[in-house]
Amino acid sequence: MALASALGTLGAAAAEKPVALIISQSGLGDQSYNDLAYEGFKRGLEATKLEGRPVESKEVVAQAAEILRRASDADFGLVIDLEYAHGEPMLAVAKDYPDTKYVILNQVREGANIASVLFQEQEGSYLAGTLAALVTTDTSIKGINAEPIIGVIGGTKSAGIDKFIAGFVEGAKAANPTTDVKVAYSNNFADPAIGLQMAKAMFEQGADIVYQIAGGTGMGVIQAAKESGHYAIGVDTDQDGIAPGSVLTSMIKRTDVAVETVIKDYAAGTFAGGKTMSLGLKEGAVGLSEMKHTKDLIPAAILEKVEAAKQGILSGQIKVWNVVEQGYPDYLK
Amino acid sequence: MSAVVAPPSTSGWATAVLPFVLALVAAGIVLAVAGHNPFDVYRLLAVESFGGTKRIAATLSAATPLILTGLATAVAFRAGAFNVGVEGCVYIGGLAAAYVGFTFVDLPAPVLIPLALAAGFVAGSLWMLVPGVLKARLDVDEVVTTLMLNFIAISFTAYLVNGPLLAPGSANSATPMVVDAARLPRLMPPSTLNIGFLIAMALLALYWLWSNRTALGFETRIAGMNARFASASGINVPSLVIKMMLLSGAIGGLAGAIHALGSVGRFVAGFSPGYGFTGIAVALLGRGTPVGIFLAAILFGALATSGATIQLFSDVPIEIVNILQGMVMIFAVARFGWIFARRRTAA
Repeated sequence: MALASALGTLGAAAAEKPVALIISQSGLGDQSYNDLAYEGFKRGLEATKLEGRPVESKEVVAQAAEILRRASDADFGLVIDLEYAHGEPMLAVAKDYPDTKYVILNQVREGANIASVLFQEQEGSYLAGTLAALVTTDTSIKGINAEPIIGVIGGTKSAGIDKFIAGFVEGAKAANPTTDVKVAYSNNFADPAIGLQMAKAMFEQGADIVYQIAGGTGMGVIQAAKESGHYAIGVDTDQDGIAPGSVLTSMIKRTDVAVETVIKDYAAGTFAGGKTMSLGLKEGAVGLSEMKHTKDLIPAAILEKVEAAKQGILSGQIKVWNVVEQGYPDYLK
Repeated sequence: MSAVVAPPSTSGWATAVLPFVLALVAAGIVLAVAGHNPFDVYRLLAVESFGGTKRIAATLSAATPLILTGLATAVAFRAGAFNVGVEGCVYIGGLAAAYVGFTFVDLPAPVLIPLALAAGFVAGSLWMLVPGVLKARLDVDEVVTTLMLNFIAISFTAYLVNGPLLAPGSANSATPMVVDAARLPRLMPPSTLNIGFLIAMALLALYWLWSNRTALGFETRIAGMNARFASASGINVPSLVIKMMLLSGAIGGLAGAIHALGSVGRFVAGFSPGYGFTGIAVALLGRGTPVGIFLAAILFGALATSGATIQLFSDVPIEIVNILQGMVMIFAVARFGWIFARRRTAA
């Protein structure tokens, strides 16, 4: 019964056509990207009274075009796609369904009915770098040595990851030009053991704070911080609670805000087809965590300087380097 | 002649269909407990699998790699080698084909496509060389070696697409797209169904001919049923096992090549959603026969494609479809276990 009625309402009744959310390969329950986006999806539907459904499949990459076409044929008005590998298939499908609207995240795809969503991860990373560079020389904080050395571990050497790293380095150098930022790549997003080893190696070289942008591999970085009494910086979601007190802060990327915003725009008839939405600090889409477990460890003067950097970015005084748009800066070649 | 070697066919169709029926009943109970009407869900699954040409094309497209991995597994089974390494061959073959497809960009399609497919075929075959030789010459358990090789294949290809073969500017681990000339022609555009499906069907036909009409096919079956008897009859069993392992790997590699050139258009980390492992279930459920492999592949292909799209029309989560798929696999293997036990007591 419930099934039949659902079919009915999806087909015709609603004034606005329903919304589909295509979940990326790691699936719902990843406690990260997908789950966060799904939260925003639910909030967006609730606020707009639209119908909508998430679509999960372990064959999401293999069946990219088939799933996108099915959703379009089934009269979904808006298809939000979290799977990065769907960029090219979406281009082909969107041409055939001019009345359906599509959203792709973390990349730009051209098309009158495609909206691309990019995050200004470099802005949040800049703040993380500022904080790390100020903390790393303050020996009054437990687990911190006098050396101005910090580290960053990326999952792979690519522009998408180096966008974070460049922002982190820029923020660190701005706070203390003598800061030495050790950069390394794990070439893996799913192996905590690699992250653990690499972070420990950095700690042995005098680093005391390591920023991870390496998905599941980054869990090992946090573990290493916990074991050695130093600090990690989390990414994407608020990872401060994974090892309370060992995660200095997290650079949060609010995929949920993006999905929610897109649904609301669609319902209001202001869908940004053919445009690229850029979500940064100003939109509240990237930024540092509230630092629940570490705020009290850090001198107020440092927190004030981080806040000043944030205001600088918000006011436009500080323009953080964007690797994806601007190419590689001199300090990261 | 064939009466001597053919398995007793008293059970016939009933035992081939029974696992599926049992799985439907068992999963139906799970569905009902979870608050879904199993009949509604099954009807929706059927409609999403076979309701209209577009859906049939999607099902055949999803079944294509499974026909090939099922066939690859069956070829090795037939020689008595329990090859669980087809998954690794899919990865290796897929990467090899994608590499050819984005590297030799100036070749015309009639040259490039066969070359890329051949690269997958050869790469998959070579991947099975070591376990084949180890099994044939030193009697090293092929289940262990091929299973371990899967992990190596997955990690090795992941390393390559994270480093040397990473597409410039890509934020996820993927090679560049293959050129258009390397894409397999589509049979029913815009569906992704492509000539890979025809290749798979042709191989199934060849498999039927080979197993029923050739001396090698006959010898392989004898060796698979009773290696000692085969040796006593003058069949070179070790050489046969190596040949069949290489053939199994080659077909697995071809499955990867067709997946890369036909569906995905590149190689990405997490390239295969377990095609090699589902292929084992396909081979078992299909009882190693061409028709059985085809039907089993269609079944799993249908579950894969409809399992994704029914979520657009119902609240049935993907887990329920995975449970259904798992049930079919369990019952398929349970049947196999019975045959295995019977053969062991006979030997």
